[in-house]
Amino acid sequence: MKFLLTSITLLSLCVTLRAQETPAVKPATDGRVWGALIFATNDAAQLTGGREQPPPNLPKLNERLGKVFPFKHFEILGQHQQDIFREFESWVVPSQDLFLKIDSKGPADQGGVNLHLQVWREQQVLVKSDAVLRAGSPLFIGGPAWKSGRLIFVLSLDRK
Amino acid sequence: MKPPSEDHDLIRWLDGEMNATEHAAFETRLKTDPALANEAQVLRALSVGIRSHLPADMTVPHADFFNSQIQVRIGQLEIDNERAQATAAPGDLLRWLRQPWLTAAGAVALAVLGLVLLRPIAETSANSFILSSYTPKIGVQAHAFHDEAADATVLMLDGLDAIPADRKVSGIHVKHSETEPQLAATTLYDVAGGRLLMISRDATGLPLIWSNSPRG
Repeated sequence: MKFLLTSITLLSLCVTLRAQETPAVKPATDGRVWGALIFATNDAAQLTGGREQPPPNLPKLNERLGKVFPFKHFEILGQHQQDIFREFESWVVPSQDLFLKIDSKGPADQGGVNLHLQVWREQQVLVKSDAVLRAGSPLFIGGPAWKSGRLIFVLSLDRK
Repeated sequence: MKPPSEDHDLIRWLDGEMNATEHAAFETRLKTDPALANEAQVLRALSVGIRSHLPADMTVPHADFFNSQIQVRIGQLEIDNERAQATAAPGDLLRWLRQPWLTAAGAVALAVLGLVLLRPIAETSANSFILSSYTPKIGVQAHAFHDEAADATVLMLDGLDAIPADRKVSGIHVKHSETEPQLAATTLYDVAGGRLLMISRDATGLPLIWSNSPRG
């Protein structure tokens, strides 16, 4: 059964790939987010050597992470800027190991956007959450331990 | 006049914080002090009523919750005292404060205050906040709080299985994406326009990823 479902999905995606050759109408959005997978550790030797920087609207990110998580070093492993689609799910995938599915529930009353979030680790959903995300106020998600540190997912709403 | 320590003992008795010796001593006093026994009965009934309307587990909404709750409670007591002083003669004050209905009203006010404080983090502020969270896997817990120093909202997941140290965890750097809404398929591209991966869901809702690069 699962093989059949996967086959159908693959077939659909092949059609999609061909359809992408023609311009499509851009779906309506409720904002745009920056998502990143960050490795936190006290052992500098374990860092991968990445030099990625957070966006300018998220200043002093490492310093802020250090207020919450007891680590000295924070390294961006991957990052992804993604539109939040109003009527369709949005994926924020800075890594295949830990990624996020977002469903918009519309603008929040006093700014920001209402979201349903799902944090996935491969094929396992770690947490489902309803949240209000506002610009300038990032969400830090403390994920699984790795090596002698921890993986952290950061989600931030861009200012319009 | 009732010494303050007795009130404290009554609260500790209600909260089940006494050890066996203290509990036995207080039970003896209840039998010999009808006024105290009556007050204890009223408070216990009220406590049971309130607890029956509250969830069994309520997470602390932010790190300073207890401090802020204490500050609010102190402020409330000060207001109560000012009102009492303004409306009662000094000699009547303590008798008035000891009225069971006042104690009950205070407890109800505290319960309401608690519910207000236990609402999700600062809905009226400019902060992001978590409304609810659910962890499907047994043993995994999520708790949310706002960290003022970091100026960030935190959703901490505890109890997750660690990723093996020899497992390579790598990231990608997505510059832009294209989505096919009808199939809920999203293709991610790097800064050079190269296709990084495509993600979609199967019919059961599980994510499917097709990537150009092999995983570690």
